Amino acid sequence: MAEQKPEDELRIGVYICHCGSNIAGVIDPAEVAEWASHLPGVVRATDTLYACADSGQTLIKEDIKKYNLNRVVVSACSVRMHETTFRAAVSEAGLNPFLMEMANIREQCTWAHGHDKDGALRKAKDLTASAIAKARFLNPLTMIKVPVTKRAMVIGGGVAGISAALDLADQGIETILVEKEPTIGGVMAQLNKTFPTMDCSI
Amino acid sequence: MVDAARHPKIDVRTYTNVERVEGYVGNFKVQLREKARHVLADRCNGCGECSKACPIEVPNYFEMNLAPRKAAYVPMSQSVPLRYTIDEEACIHCYKCVDACGALEAIDFSQEDKVVWEDIGSIVVATGFNHFDPSVIPEYGYGRYPNVITAMEMERLNNSAGPTTGNLIRPSDQKNPQRLAIINCVGSRDKRFNPWCSNFCCMYAIKNAVLLKQMNPELEISIYYMDIRTPSKGYEEFYDRARSMGIRFIQGRPSLITEDPQTKNLFVHSEDVVLGKISELEYDMVMLNQAAVPQPDVDTVSSVLNITQSPGGWFMEYHPKLRPVDSPTDGIFLAGACQGLKDIPSSVSSGLATASRAGRILHSDEWEIEPIIAQVWEDRCVMAQGKVCGVCSRACPYGAIVIEEGKAASVTVAKCHGCGGCVAECPHNAITQMHFTDAQVLAQMRALLADRPEEKIFAFRCHWCSYGGADLAGTSHFDYSANERGIRVMCSARMDPDFIYEAFRLGAGAVLYSGCHPQDCHYITGQRVGATRADRLQKLFEKLEMTSGRFRIEWISAAEGDKYSRVINEMQKVIDNIPHDQLMAEIERLRPEMEKRARRMYETPGVDKALVYSDEMVQAITAKEVKSGA
Ligand SMILES: Cc1cc2nc3c(=O)[nH]c(=O)nc-3n(C[C@H](O)[C@H](O)[C@H](O)COP(=O)(O)OP(=O)(O)OC[C@H]3O[C@@H](n4cnc5c(N)ncnc54)[C@H](O)[C@@H]3O)c2cc1C
Ligand SMILES: Cc1cc2nc3c(=O)[nH]c(=O)nc-3n(C[C@H](O)[C@H](O)[C@H](O)COP(=O)(O)OP(=O)(O)OC[C@H]3O[C@@H](n4cnc5c(N)ncnc54)[C@H](O)[C@@H]3O)c2cc1C
Ligand code: SF4
Ligand code: SF4
Ligand code: SF4
Repeated sequence: MAEQKPEDELRIGVYICHCGSNIAGVIDPAEVAEWASHLPGVVRATDTLYACADSGQTLIKEDIKKYNLNRVVVSACSVRMHETTFRAAVSEAGLNPFLMEMANIREQCTWAHGHDKDGALRKAKDLTASAIAKARFLNPLTMIKVPVTKRAMVIGGGVAGISAALDLADQGIETILVEKEPTIGGVMAQLNKTFPTMDCSI
Repeated sequence: MVDAARHPKIDVRTYTNVERVEGYVGNFKVQLREKARHVLADRCNGCGECSKACPIEVPNYFEMNLAPRKAAYVPMSQSVPLRYTIDEEACIHCYKCVDACGALEAIDFSQEDKVVWEDIGSIVVATGFNHFDPSVIPEYGYGRYPNVITAMEMERLNNSAGPTTGNLIRPSDQKNPQRLAIINCVGSRDKRFNPWCSNFCCMYAIKNAVLLKQMNPELEISIYYMDIRTPSKGYEEFYDRARSMGIRFIQGRPSLITEDPQTKNLFVHSEDVVLGKISELEYDMVMLNQAAVPQPDVDTVSSVLNITQSPGGWFMEYHPKLRPVDSPTDGIFLAGACQGLKDIPSSVSSGLATASRAGRILHSDEWEIEPIIAQVWEDRCVMAQGKVCGVCSRACPYGAIVIEEGKAASVTVAKCHGCGGCVAECPHNAITQMHFTDAQVLAQMRALLADRPEEKIFAFRCHWCSYGGADLAGTSHFDYSANERGIRVMCSARMDPDFIYEAFRLGAGAVLYSGCHPQDCHYITGQRVGATRADRLQKLFEKLEMTSGRFRIEWISAAEGDKYSRVINEMQKVIDNIPHDQLMAEIERLRPEMEKRARRMYETPGVDKALVYSDEMVQAITAKEVKSGA
């Protein structure tokens, strides 16, 4: 992987996702891309039908090489949805995963402002600009590796906890099953025969 | 149950509470309190002589208090492990049990609670649910009419291992009932009590009806329902079978149950939606399918484990579709009804799923965590210059900052969870947070407020809750003003006062300071650090006579999309209600004060570059805005 120097000339690639009609039904992603192409540090800006699909990820990965990008901005959905997806994608193309920044123009824009298309467009542009501005100052980071204690704890000895504990133990993992009552079993142990099989519950 | 106790890799700790959880994925430390049973587990062979000798009887929770147990007891004969417990509260210390136990010498009254710490890599939470008490519904008479029972009581009465060995009798006269009414949705789907559907009551209503009908085909059974919900495999077919057995289904929610004081028979008053009539039918016995509700100690469990709740008190999953058994905390998983009500097949499925999710971690030698931690600029920390400080370490919920006289503060990497509280608290801007630096946030703010800032509602949101709440507002299509512009940081603790001053200096119309509710904080006490600061800011802005509502503090969970949308819309109204000239005049009046206060941030390393870049950015944005506006 090529070493990134954050102080190198800024080369930001910006991708505005349609998410089918989820975003493109309210705003024109191509217009946002065109607008973003004029912002400082942006060397590549384009719209894409589904950024997270194979085709979208391939586009980003190829662009990183073709345009020698050192920052990537994806204006698409929530970070809770796809931050890991795009971090992985840029990382496959040799970029540090922390040099990717997302703007949330779906959950926090087109989905919330369907009634106000102009307002949504202005907001999508601003959110994209904000992500570009943050991207400018991103630093390459490495994940922290921590050791793993190979023991599990299951809290609650009902049918769910017992199932979890047995499966963990069958995988060879030492498991502590904690139950606050004097017996495990939970509600199921109190039941008569149970649906759907109508067999006895214990 | 027995398989779990026998498994060589499972260590069952009953009568035990989880008191504290520290650490992080792969490296949790869990404090357990094993309550004193006064019975030595390795000596007790489960013979039960102690229980026979014990003179004290108290109601048995396991039998829904329909039958007694002794002070020396097991909840049921198939208890796992089969070890007796002496209930300290009920015991009169007659020591008859000690004599009865005799040579086994398994009873030890000197035993005390044992507190132990365990090292754990991953945790599965499977704490289940509890039963709603229908006595708070006055119209059904539960608790007043002896022949009105709950579904859980029915499960015991109709159970060959239960107190009546499965012979269903009326509590009032011990006679077998001939006419039984079963009422669904008692305290469920009822706005007065619990809005949710309790998931399994329709099916267990049908189950109990079928079982009782099989035992006694003469028994007349009516099930009162609002809707019958049978979406899983074979469930609708089971419902069909029940109908073909002559079980009567009456669509309607009973409005009243009355009792004949002589016979103790019951009259169920209800609408019959299908017939379009009001019905009043007589029964010998009524079973109430009481709502399933969260455990009473759910808040304690939440705060011990640092996991958040959805509305109603169910533990919240990371993502309802994509990661339904992950909690938002890496390494902690959710199984069974505690995450949301589930019947047995679904509880087992989710339990098995957690084993697979936890297994991913536990089969690895190392696990990766995000490097978004705090870092001290040693040359800026005043401790290094021999002064007294340590503000950062007092803000840290994890004790991750080491303070030593004459030395710069230092962050213990493995302990830092990356809330950013120390960064915002440090009075000398001597700490930064990776991936959420002052320079990054400042550059973002300036881009967002480049154009017509006075129209904007500038929202600071924490990653785990209020950002999630904003997501949910969108997912649910709760429209709100498109003038909102948001920034995400990990915790409200990171919301530096300098950011707020800067937002107002830039001319923001309104600023929202939002994070999690205190009990939901992903960083134990991060929210408290943020909230204390926010209150201080609020007081300052009051003193500066800022129009009230331009600065707003709101705690919004990831489940409160409606609240996020409402708050933004209310803030829009605040801006709309200030005449434009007056708003601009107020922004100008306050700008010097804001500038003075924000200036400190400009000295933070890296911010100088952000200022230069932001100017270029703002120029580019405003140039474009003018063009596209033309
Ligand atoms: C009347 C009735 C009839 C039902 N009939 C059926 C049926 O026929 N078929 C069916 O599929 N489902 C049925 N169900 C649903 C079934 O009971 C649940 O699906 C099942 O019990 C959920 O299992 P669980 O392990 O998640 O929770 P639980 O059974 O509630 O178990 C949770 C366990 O965790 C323990 N615990 C709680 N808090 C703590 C803590 N802080 N520390 C340590 N331990 C703790 C509890 O003591 C308990 O042992 C019925 C439910 C009711 C109310
Ligand atoms: C109109 C409609 C709307 C819905 N909306 C929602 C919703 O809003 N929310 C929700 O949660 N759920 C919704 N669902 C349900 C959702 O579609 C299912 O839960 C989900 O698709 C089930 O996923 P699956 O992987 O089990 O099956 P499928 O999606 O059916 O995938 C099975 C895959 O296996 C392939 N396959 C089949 N046989 C073979 C074979 N022999 N060899 C190799 N490959 C094979 C198929 O081509 C297919 O790609 C909806 C369903 C419908 C019909
Ligand atoms: S499962 Fe059926 S009875 Fe239970 S709350 Fe839902 S609709 Fe009502
Ligand atoms: S206060 Fe937060 S960011 Fe600072 S060291 Fe503690 S956990 Fe890390
Ligand atoms: S608050 Fe700042 S100056 Fe004070 S000890 Fe911590 S890092 Fe040093």
